Amino acid sequence: MITGNVLALFGAAIASLAGIGSAIGVGIAGQAAAGVLAEDPKKFGRTLIIQAVPGTQGIYGLLMAFLIFIKVGLFGGQMQDLDVTTGLLIMVSGLPIGLIGLWSGIAQGKTAASGVMLMGKRPDQFIKGIIYAAMVETYAIFALLLSILILFNI
Amino acid sequence: MEKLAVIGLSNNKDKLISDLADLGVVEITERFVQEEQGEKKDPEEIDTNIGTKDSENFKENLGGDSGYAHDTLAADSENDRLASDNPKVIGGEITNENSVAGNVKTLENQGELDRADGDADYVTTIEGEMSRTETALETLKRYSKEKEPLFITKRIITNEKLKALLDRRAEIEGYISSILRLNFRLHMVDDKINKMNSDIAALRPWMVYDAPLDLSETEHTNIELGVLPSTVNLDNLVEKLNTLDLPSHVSVINSDRELIYIAAVMMKAGQEDVLGTLKQHGFTPLPFQGFEGRVSDNLDDLSKKVDDQRALRAELEEEVAGFGKTRRDIEFLFDYLTMERDRERIKSKMRVTRRTFNFEGWVPSHLKDRVEKVLERYGCYYEYRNPLEGEEVPVMIENPAFATPFEAITQMYSMPDYKGLDPTKWFSIFYAMFFGIMLSDAGYGLIITIATFVALKKFELEGMTKKMVKMFMYCGIATVFWGAMFGGWFGDLIPVAADVLFGKKVEIKPIWFNPIDDPTRLLVWSLGFGIVHIFLGMALNAYMLIKRGHFWDAVFDVFSWYILIIGAIMYGALGSSMPDLSKIGMYMAILGAAVLLLTGGRKNRGIGKVTGGLGALYGITGYVSDILSYSRLLALGLATGVIATVVNTMGSLGGRGIVSFIVLVIVGIIGHSFNMAINILGAFVHSSRLQYIEFFGKFYEDGGEEFDPFRNETQYIKILKESDGGEK
Repeated sequence: MITGNVLALFGAAIASLAGIGSAIGVGIAGQAAAGVLAEDPKKFGRTLIIQAVPGTQGIYGLLMAFLIFIKVGLFGGQMQDLDVTTGLLIMVSGLPIGLIGLWSGIAQGKTAASGVMLMGKRPDQFIKGIIYAAMVETYAIFALLLSILILFNI
Repeated sequence: MEKLAVIGLSNNKDKLISDLADLGVVEITERFVQEEQGEKKDPEEIDTNIGTKDSENFKENLGGDSGYAHDTLAADSENDRLASDNPKVIGGEITNENSVAGNVKTLENQGELDRADGDADYVTTIEGEMSRTETALETLKRYSKEKEPLFITKRIITNEKLKALLDRRAEIEGYISSILRLNFRLHMVDDKINKMNSDIAALRPWMVYDAPLDLSETEHTNIELGVLPSTVNLDNLVEKLNTLDLPSHVSVINSDRELIYIAAVMMKAGQEDVLGTLKQHGFTPLPFQGFEGRVSDNLDDLSKKVDDQRALRAELEEEVAGFGKTRRDIEFLFDYLTMERDRERIKSKMRVTRRTFNFEGWVPSHLKDRVEKVLERYGCYYEYRNPLEGEEVPVMIENPAFATPFEAITQMYSMPDYKGLDPTKWFSIFYAMFFGIMLSDAGYGLIITIATFVALKKFELEGMTKKMVKMFMYCGIATVFWGAMFGGWFGDLIPVAADVLFGKKVEIKPIWFNPIDDPTRLLVWSLGFGIVHIFLGMALNAYMLIKRGHFWDAVFDVFSWYILIIGAIMYGALGSSMPDLSKIGMYMAILGAAVLLLTGGRKNRGIGKVTGGLGALYGITGYVSDILSYSRLLALGLATGVIATVVNTMGSLGGRGIVSFIVLVIVGIIGHSFNMAINILGAFVHSSRLQYIEFFGKFYEDGGEEFDPFRNETQYIKILKESDGGEK
C-alpha cells in the first residue's frame, strides 16, 4: 500500500540520483587526469582537485536525502505517519536536485576534463580550469536551493 | 608609470645592471620607435652630432663633475625640446639616438655608432650550464632522502657568504659533474634492466622447450622456432604438412590468447615446402639470436643479472643520496647562473656606442627616486616622459594593506587596463564576506585562520603564495564571524558531544539566526547583499564614465537602472505593507524603464534607435539573473551546515559514554575534514565567480600587461645587501 512515508522516501531516492551524474562526471575527469599524469606524475594533487569538482552533485543529492530523512523522522527510529499529499510533496522536493544534479554532473565532468587538459599544458592556469567547471555547478546549486525551499516550506 | 631613458658610460654598465636587478623596479624595454619621425635628419648631421658635439661633450662632462653634467645636459635637452616641438623628444642624446634607430638602414655602413648590445653566445653557454645544474638538482631531489618542505622558502644569503660560495664554485661544479655521471650510469642500468626484462618476457613462453636455443640444425634437419596466430587450426596444418613429400614435425610448446608457440623440425631438402605451408598459416619465425643453451638456464641467468643490476642501481641511488648535503650549494649555483644569464640577456634590449650605452624602461612614478639614486651613483644621464598615446604601458597594482592579498584574485582574472580601474580594494571586503557566508562554520573558519596564521609566521612566503595564504586568513576570519552569526561550530558538534559525553543538553545560540530554521530569510538577505555588490560595480562604471567626461552616459546607462531596480523592488516588496511607497516604487520603475527605452538606441541610426532602446530594456533579464545568482550564498552555506550536522549525527549513533565519544571524535575528524575540504574549494571558487561574472561584468576593463621589472629571479636564495639594509 502506498503511504505518505513510502512516497517521501521515494523522494529521497530520487534526490540521490544526482550521484549518478557525479559518478559519471568524476569518471570522465579522472580519465583525463590519468592521461595528464602519464606525462607528469608531479601533477597528481592538482588533477585530483579538479577531478573532485564534479563530485559535489552527489553530495547535494545525499544532503537532500538526509534532509528528507530528518523531515520524516527516519533517524529518530520512529517515522511519522505522513498522509499521501505530504508524501507526494516531499517526493517532489527531491526532483530538482535529482534530475538537474544528474545532468549537470555529467556536463561538469566534461568541463573538468578539459580543465585537467588545460592544467596539463599550462599549470599556471589551473584555477581557471576549476572556475570553468564551477560555472556548470551553479545550476546544481540552484537545484539544491529549489529542493530545500520546497522541503522547508511544506 | 613613466618612461625612463638612460645613457651612461660603458665601464659602469655591468655594475649598474646588477644594481638595477637588486632594486627590481625598472622594466627595461626594447626601444620604442615611433613610426612617424618628426623630421628626418641627414645621416651625416647625426654623425657629427653624436661623434662631436653631444657625445664628446657628454663624456667630458661625465668624466668630470657629474652634477655639472646633469645641469648642462638638462639645459641642452630643454632647448632641443623647445626647438623641435616633437612629442617624442626626451633628451638631447636620446633624440639623436632615436633618429638613428629610425634611419638605421642609412646608417648601416656608418660603423659602430649605435648597435644592439648583448652576447647571445654567452647567454647560450650559461643556459647550457643551467640545464646541467637543473638535471643534477632533479636527480638529487628524486633520490635524496630529505623530506620536501611544505612551502619552499628562500634562504637569505649575505654578500660575504655569497663571495665565499662563489670561491667554491669549481668545487660545486665538481659535485654537479659527479651527480650527472651517476645519473648517466643510472640511465644505463635502467636501459639494461629494461632490455633484460623484455628478453625474459620473450623467453618465458618457451620455458618447456628444452633443446639448446643455439641448436638450429642437425646434419639433415632444420629446427625453426616461431609463432602462429591462435586462430590457426593446428590439425589442418599438420594434415597439410603430412601431404608433403618429406616428413616434418610440429610440436606445440605453449599457447596463449593470441599466439601459439611452435617448434617445427623439417628435412633440409624439403625446407622450402614446409616453411611455405607454415607461412600460409601466418607463421612468424622467432630466431633467438645471441642466446645459448636451454631456455630455463637462460631465464635463471637473466633474472640473476637483473637482480645484480637492481643491486647496482640501489648502490648508485645511495651514492646520489650521499650528495644530498651539496644540494644547497647547487641550488645556490643555479640561482647565481640565472642571475648571470638575466643580466647578460637584458643587455640585448640596450644599445651601445663605442663608449656609452643607453636604454629605455618603465618606472612606477612613485619609485622614481630609488632609481635615480642608483643612476646617479654611476653618473648616468636620464630623462623621464609620460606614456604616449597608443603605447602599451605595463600595469602595476597597489592597494592598501587590507586589500593587497586579494590582488591574487584580480591577477588570476586579468590585470586591469592601464587606463582602467583596479577593482581589488572594492571587492576585497565582499570577497571575504561571501566566502564566510558560503562556508558559514566558525569551527572551520578557526582552523583556516590558525593554519594560515602559522604558515605566515613560520615560513617566509613571497609573491602570489603569500597573497593567497593571507587572503585565506582574512576569509577564515570572515568565516568565524558568519559561523558565529549562524551558530555553526563544526555543525552542532558541541551540543552533540555534550550529549554523548555527559548526557546534558547544551545549546549554542546563533547570534543572528540559524539559516536552516528559516532559509527564506537568508535567501532574501543573500539577494540583498548581491544587489549592493552589483550596485557598487555599476557605481564604479558610472564613476569611470563621468571621469572621462561622459556624464550623460552614466545617467542613461547606470542611474536609470538604479531607479528601475530600486523602484521594482519597492513595488514588489512593499505592495501590502506600505501602499504609498509601493506606488512611488512603481512610478520609479516606469521612469527608469522609459529612460532606458528612449535613450538605449541613442548611438544607433534609423531603426536602430528603436531596437536599441528595446535591447537596453531587455537587459533586465541580465540583472535578474545576476541578482538571483547570489542565492548560492544561502545554498552553499546550508550545504556546509547540513553535512556537518549529518557527520555529527552519524558519529553519535553509538549512544552515550566514553566509547561512543571516541567514535564521535574519529567520525568527526574524518567527516569534518572532508566537508571542510570540499566546501573551502566551493566557497573559494564561487566567491571568485561572483566577482568575475557578476561584479567585473559591470565595469571592469582588463587586458593590461603586468609590470615585470628587471630583477633577480632567484628560486632558492635571497641576497641581502648591506648597502640598503635588507630587502625592498
